[in-house]
Amino acid sequence: MSKKITTLKAVIFLLCSVFLLNSCDTETEKTIPKVHTVEIKQMKFQPAELIVQKGDTVVWINNDIVAHDVTEEPGKAWTSSVMPVGESWSLVVTQSADYYCNIHVVMKGKLIVQ
Amino acid sequence: MPLITTVVLFAIMPFASVFAQENPKLSDPEVASVAVVANQIDISYGEIAKGKSKNEDILKFAETMINDHKAVIAQAAALAKKLGVTPKDNAVSQKLLADAEKTKKMLRSKSGKAFDRAYIDNEVAYHKAVIAVVEGLLIPETDNGELKSLLQNVVPALKTHLEHAVMVQNKIS
Repeated sequence: MSKKITTLKAVIFLLCSVFLLNSCDTETEKTIPKVHTVEIKQMKFQPAELIVQKGDTVVWINNDIVAHDVTEEPGKAWTSSVMPVGESWSLVVTQSADYYCNIHVVMKGKLIVQ
Repeated sequence: MPLITTVVLFAIMPFASVFAQENPKLSDPEVASVAVVANQIDISYGEIAKGKSKNEDILKFAETMINDHKAVIAQAAALAKKLGVTPKDNAVSQKLLADAEKTKKMLRSKSGKAFDRAYIDNEVAYHKAVIAVVEGLLIPETDNGELKSLLQNVVPALKTHLEHAVMVQNKIS
């Protein structure tokens, strides 16, 4: 009888453990930050407007024929500095922001944190 | 005269004397030469501006023109080397250079705000003209696919330069 109870406890413990682990996985999936890519090509940020979650990473890749940069506007709170052709730069996004290329000031983009 | 050439001629009045004689037929080496010369000319204007202007917007624009047009020349040179093409001097590139000398003389004769206005007005006109020439003459005249592709990729940069120049022009006027 005692052996049966011990086995039953073990089964219940295992079931609870599996349930709890599954719960943890689901929670983890919800908060895994994503990586988004913005291609700089033909003098445009593509896409020019990007919707992200707080904590996501955005990677800008310069696939254009000239150097560019990525700079927050209006306050220049962050900047990639000059990105030569072929180089990339990344940012962990904490809040929505407008940005532009400080070299070609008519090039503009937007990050929207949902 | 084909319609496209007529349209181009109206769009490129600063270059009109170059193209007004005939619809110029250019080989790929000649197209490469015109493209390189057109970039070199804008670099030379930018260098004059860096030496004469004290306006922050003008200086920043001039620096961008110098760097971007140097980058385009470097890519054109790399492509020409890859293709085994040597840019060939021709009547169009010679006329562009001759006209540029007159413009540079005019720019050097001015100072202060008059210089800034003359420089940026010329940049607006020059980029309009170059865009028209690249789209209306150089791209259609080019046979080699890679050279044509490079010219097509340069057009967005030229249009962004024009937009930037107009912005500076409005700001300083």
